[in-house]
Amino acid sequence: MKKVSVDPITRLEGHGKIEIFVDDDNVVQNVYFQIPELRGFERFCVGRPVEELARITPRICGVCPEAHHMAATKAIDAVFGVKPARTGVMLRELLYNAFFVTDHTTHFYILAGPDFIMGPESDPATRNILGVIHKVGLETGGAVINLRAEAAELISMIGGKQIHPVCGLPGGVSQAITAEQRDRMVQITAAQVEFAKFSLQLFDDVVLANNDYVELIKSDAFTHATYNMGMVDENNKVNFYDGQIRVTGQDGSELEKFEGRDYLAHIAEHVEPYSYLTYPYLKSVGWKGFVDGPDSGVYKASPLSRLNAADGMATPLAQQEYERFFSTLGGKPVNATLATHWARLVELLYAAERSHELATDPDIIDPDVRTIPTGIVGEGVGVVEAPRGTLYHHYKTDDQGMVTNVNLIVGTTNNNAAISMSLKKAAEGILTGGSEIREGNLNMIEMAFRAYDPCFGCATHTLPGDMPLEVTIKSETTREVVATVKRNM
Amino acid sequence: MTSGSTLVLGMGNPILSDDGVGLLVAGRLAEEALPAGVEVRLSEVAGLRLLELVRGFTRVIIIDALKSPAEAGREPGEIVRYEAKDFKGGHRWRSAHSIGIDTALALGHELGYNMPGEVIVFAIEAEDVETFGEELSPPVAAAAERVHELVREELGA
Repeated sequence: MKKVSVDPITRLEGHGKIEIFVDDDNVVQNVYFQIPELRGFERFCVGRPVEELARITPRICGVCPEAHHMAATKAIDAVFGVKPARTGVMLRELLYNAFFVTDHTTHFYILAGPDFIMGPESDPATRNILGVIHKVGLETGGAVINLRAEAAELISMIGGKQIHPVCGLPGGVSQAITAEQRDRMVQITAAQVEFAKFSLQLFDDVVLANNDYVELIKSDAFTHATYNMGMVDENNKVNFYDGQIRVTGQDGSELEKFEGRDYLAHIAEHVEPYSYLTYPYLKSVGWKGFVDGPDSGVYKASPLSRLNAADGMATPLAQQEYERFFSTLGGKPVNATLATHWARLVELLYAAERSHELATDPDIIDPDVRTIPTGIVGEGVGVVEAPRGTLYHHYKTDDQGMVTNVNLIVGTTNNNAAISMSLKKAAEGILTGGSEIREGNLNMIEMAFRAYDPCFGCATHTLPGDMPLEVTIKSETTREVVATVKRNM
Repeated sequence: MTSGSTLVLGMGNPILSDDGVGLLVAGRLAEEALPAGVEVRLSEVAGLRLLELVRGFTRVIIIDALKSPAEAGREPGEIVRYEAKDFKGGHRWRSAHSIGIDTALALGHELGYNMPGEVIVFAIEAEDVETFGEELSPPVAAAAERVHELVREELGA
């Protein structure tokens, strides 16, 4: 009976543990996916002015503070019952799309790139960004760094700060931008569009041109037919900042579409004794366990599910890529977890194009960026698409706007059940009975959840630093560790 | 920045109890008179951001919380001084989501950037980095005072 440790699992945010139990023949019996509990978030927030949550909640995550800032700002709009000024909304959306460009780029080159560019079973010592830039060229590495620097410049022009924006206020944003700043943003976003096109080309050249990778992407071990969730605009096109939440089924048809504020009518959370992280599922379908198919309420909320749940992309180049994505992979929905990497690049192109559209809109320099709230509703839900999935912030306050209750459902939590299922299926498919357990095998199991880019920091409402996840394979009968694979970071 | 410049970089999370210690010490240093060529920055994120922050400085002094595995036998408030060659297992230097400081430094060198020749880390063993709060535990608060002095000595202030 076996237990194999991978310590640390490379390239994953947060602190968690995966335990894979196998029998004497290395046949997978169970997979448990656990994360530690982090304490006191609600207590920390209660009693504070609700406006502060737009600056507090970004600090629960070192990876996507901008997503929390936006969800919080929208929730606070709702708490005060204020419709934000049009240009204020445009500036928020511009900042947010620039953030998506940064985050998706980082994921592709730092996290996904090593598996595909170096190979999933290549030497872990070179299966990292350093190996990647040696293979694709130093100039690509420089381009990634440069893109991040320029996106940070844009974000700080609107957000006031590079990492933790402070611009979001109920009714809009804190300041307008100047024509000079706008000109710079036009320049930056135009370069982002070119970079996104380059990245898609690289994916074509490295991944799609390699039949082994295409087979790996399409393989059963990495496939799950769950429901798909994503935010859509009035034309059912992908939108990260605003819209309705749409859920589509295994045949691609719409199951439901709802306003973010009604999420509790549509989503419930299943609890397992071994995990502090809940397992959200669709109420209308119900929890049937860790299974896929139309009778199971498990859903995905990821770049892949957003493409599946929408009818297309709202910008022209991304729409072309969207069509190519589905025609190449056999139509909608695509259930191949590893196709999430490609979906992320389609979204990268959309985010860059949308940023450029907003930066070139004449109204972006309108000084009227905020509507001052005049009343208070006392409850509000703010929803955005975070890079890792739909992000819900729900606040309640007293009549003075002091927080009485906070609930968050973050991107990774939405995907908790799907991640667990993907891990088990990948483990079953890769650790076939009797085979030797090798580091490369374990990396391929890791790939099943790296596709979701899970981030357990805020999934447990905090970030305990950037600690590794640990994977162990244990004997089902003796619970002993069978083998250990250590990685160098 | 000027040639021969030093960056003092406070890292951590200001609302996660002892994880805020690096930010607190660096924030205090930022308000004090320091030798010419010293800049103080605060960062709540790691990964590639580290490369962007340290680029161009000749020396970097990082202050951060540390959460050692139990077998290390460290007590809360213990101060550990690391140099670049020691970077393994720090609390925040190794962003699994992105890259750790060792990789960030190597990547910067590969890309031909002007990277610091000297990196020193003052790490403070934390008691609690898992509870939301803005207070330090008593041993870490005491260590913050000592690290403040150690960094000033390092700077010749």
